[in-house]
Amino acid sequence: MSVLATDGRQLSTGDERRLVTDGPRVTPDDILQTAARLRREVGQGFHEQLMADMYADAAQLAGRAVTQPGEAQRFDLDRAIDRIVTSRLWGFPLMILLFTLVFWITIAGANIPSQWLSSLLIGVVYPWLNSAAAAIGVPGWLSGLLIDGVYLATAWVVSVMLPPMAIFFPLFTLLEDFGYLPRVAFNLDNAFRKSGAHGKQALSMMMGFGCNAAGVVATRVIDSPRERIIAMITNNFALCNGRWPTQILIATIFIGGLVPAWLAGFVSAAAVVSIAVLGVAFTFGVSWFLSRTMLRGEVSTFSLELPPYRPPRIRQTIVTSLIDRTIYVLWRAVVFAAPAGAVIWLIANVTIAGQPIAVYLVNFLNPFGLLLGLNGVILLAYVVAIPANEIVIPTVLMLTVLLTGASGIDSGAGVLVQTNSNATILSVLGAGGWTLLTGVNLMLFSLLHNPCSTTIYTIYKESGSKKWTAVAALLPLAMGLIVTFVVAQVWRLVGI
Amino acid sequence: MDESTLSFLDRLRPLGGWLSRRQRARERRARIDREDALKYIHKTEAKGRRPTLEGVAGALGLTLDEAARLLGNMQTAGLLVDSDGTPRLTAIGRDSALHIIRAHRLWERYLAEETGFAEEDWHGRAEAREHELTPAELDTLAARLGYPTHDPHGDPIPPPDGALEPHGGTPLAGLTADQAGRIVHLEDEPAILYAQLVAEGLSPGQIVRNVTRTPERVHFWTNGDEHVLAPIVAANIFVTPLPGDEAATAVVGRPLTDLPLGESACVVALAAGLRGQERRRLLDLGLLPGTVVTPELRSPGGDPTAYLIRGATIALRAEQARQIRVTGEEGRRGVRERGKAFTPAPQHPFTPAPSSPSGVTNDADN
Repeated sequence: MSVLATDGRQLSTGDERRLVTDGPRVTPDDILQTAARLRREVGQGFHEQLMADMYADAAQLAGRAVTQPGEAQRFDLDRAIDRIVTSRLWGFPLMILLFTLVFWITIAGANIPSQWLSSLLIGVVYPWLNSAAAAIGVPGWLSGLLIDGVYLATAWVVSVMLPPMAIFFPLFTLLEDFGYLPRVAFNLDNAFRKSGAHGKQALSMMMGFGCNAAGVVATRVIDSPRERIIAMITNNFALCNGRWPTQILIATIFIGGLVPAWLAGFVSAAAVVSIAVLGVAFTFGVSWFLSRTMLRGEVSTFSLELPPYRPPRIRQTIVTSLIDRTIYVLWRAVVFAAPAGAVIWLIANVTIAGQPIAVYLVNFLNPFGLLLGLNGVILLAYVVAIPANEIVIPTVLMLTVLLTGASGIDSGAGVLVQTNSNATILSVLGAGGWTLLTGVNLMLFSLLHNPCSTTIYTIYKESGSKKWTAVAALLPLAMGLIVTFVVAQVWRLVGI
Repeated sequence: MDESTLSFLDRLRPLGGWLSRRQRARERRARIDREDALKYIHKTEAKGRRPTLEGVAGALGLTLDEAARLLGNMQTAGLLVDSDGTPRLTAIGRDSALHIIRAHRLWERYLAEETGFAEEDWHGRAEAREHELTPAELDTLAARLGYPTHDPHGDPIPPPDGALEPHGGTPLAGLTADQAGRIVHLEDEPAILYAQLVAEGLSPGQIVRNVTRTPERVHFWTNGDEHVLAPIVAANIFVTPLPGDEAATAVVGRPLTDLPLGESACVVALAAGLRGQERRRLLDLGLLPGTVVTPELRSPGGDPTAYLIRGATIALRAEQARQIRVTGEEGRRGVRERGKAFTPAPQHPFTPAPSSPSGVTNDADN
């Protein structure tokens, strides 16, 4: 430790001598003054000098003592892979191919277990619970609240949410474990840099397509404070698993219905993808805005390590990602969905002057909803469905049936509706006064509204800041209100 | 109606409060004016000039009447005395002025080290904040920042009870063409001129060479780039001449961005623009003077470039790499040889010669 040892020793012996010869006249003031003088002489740079020497000494020791056989060969292999996955020619196509594959496996693979779960939880367990409750003489209101309300909402969320996440997260974790994801951040950083964000935001955004709460947790890999908050706030613009079904259903029945049947599949898919792309555009735009306004004073740094590639440890990866991500997110969703189920049942069943509370609420929200090109039912559904986006469409259908008495769907008040027939849904929604504008604006509002309560809670836990949590919750909601309002006004003005 | 009657009425009014609030705002405004005037007079005295009523009015944006009333109030308060029509600071006035200057410079240091505000925002923010900080808060702040001695523009931060030392620099134009100098201070007022210095990438600690001047322009070289500034801008750069031998051995190097892919070089210095958490992160990664770096990969987007640093591959953006200086053509052969043997540079290029006054050397290694 050359510098300080030498330097310090010289200085201290000199000062000792002076202090000793000065003998009895030394006062605390003298010592303080000496300290102040030494501070000026040593200067500001000594920390770095110290660090440079520590590294130099450590490198010298390591050079003498450590040999690394086989390292060079592995390094060459890593470099060869890197040259392909980050090349100008192959970098982006490979990336798109891999992620398309991940999404395709998720969607294709989740369908079947989702149906199993739904037929088990809703088709088998639900009637069984009802008959069991009737057999032991549980009063109707209690079984309604617990079984129709709490149980059904929870079962719904679990069957929609669990299978895709149980497939998506392990796949993603495998890519992460192999070491590919930092290369994605490396490839995409330039675009994110221009909007004031970090390349690793690409990863949290991708994770957000699975679940925003998991996406917010994934921002932990961003080690720069400003960029991390940006990634948390904008994660909501990645269309999550709970919102894909809404988008697909509405696009299929409203937009797919506009074109001949042979084109319908393609057009509605294109509509859903353009909403997702719009979400990515909002991610960049809002990141740009935040980094130049509210977050200007937050510390910003950049460094991105490209770790060596490792063969993925498949079993371990699947287990940890199931426990860390899937179960965690599912548990939080259940905790929040259960009370929402109770609320939905209550507003549909508790009556004032012969009318359910839901009717008053819908009538109250209706003028405001129409101004936005939506309606009172949608707004109420979004309020009660804050805990989980999955239950928006079932709630909308239930409320519409409750209000209009539309036929075709046979269910009681406050019981979330499940149907697989798009024609039935269209006729119910038509009875509720829905138009193409309502469909389009619902798709926009589904993209641009407050994150679900699980995500809000996760943002609070991760950021530790009420302020940023409030911004993350209210900014997208405000944007959603503005966008739907403008679209509705322009739509009516143009008179489509 | 005079002030006391008003405040008396104000207290009687159940919904009141706005009058007293207005009065508090007015008192605050008066205190800020007082403190700004103290700071201005102190600065003017430190430059060896005579503070005047007109100068105070100009610096604070007041009319002459307002400035005269302000100075009168300050004399009554014992902050100033009048000597032959020139306001002079009393001992109390000097202490208050030093407190404000200390608050300003410490806050600038804080903004530079621990926030992400851009360089041109520091001065304005510190101007507002300097009036809100108590001496005790300043002590806490100084401790948190590791007792800095200089603000990010190179101005010394006065110690809590000591006098202000000058930065010791002379204007850049004082250097001759064959003399090298080190930038010790960049004047941050007026803001518009300072913004130009920032845009040129200048910062304290840089070495300046080949200064030539015409009546219209000042030309000089730092870090291998030529800068051409208007004399009024260049007048805000202060330097100390470098002794001949130090000027000869100082390695300027070239920015890391100039290093082609696959070639190795040795880090010479990290520019002052890399600061706070960002600088610490790079140091933690082992990116220090003496470290060998090799650019390995360039992102298809063109910007971040991945560098091999001490066995790890780390991507850095161009705006960072531009501020890291590495050895140029002449240093490269030596670096390769050293890199092979895994031994550090026997002497870092940035280390001052043994004869330099601080006496920091590397010889004790053996």
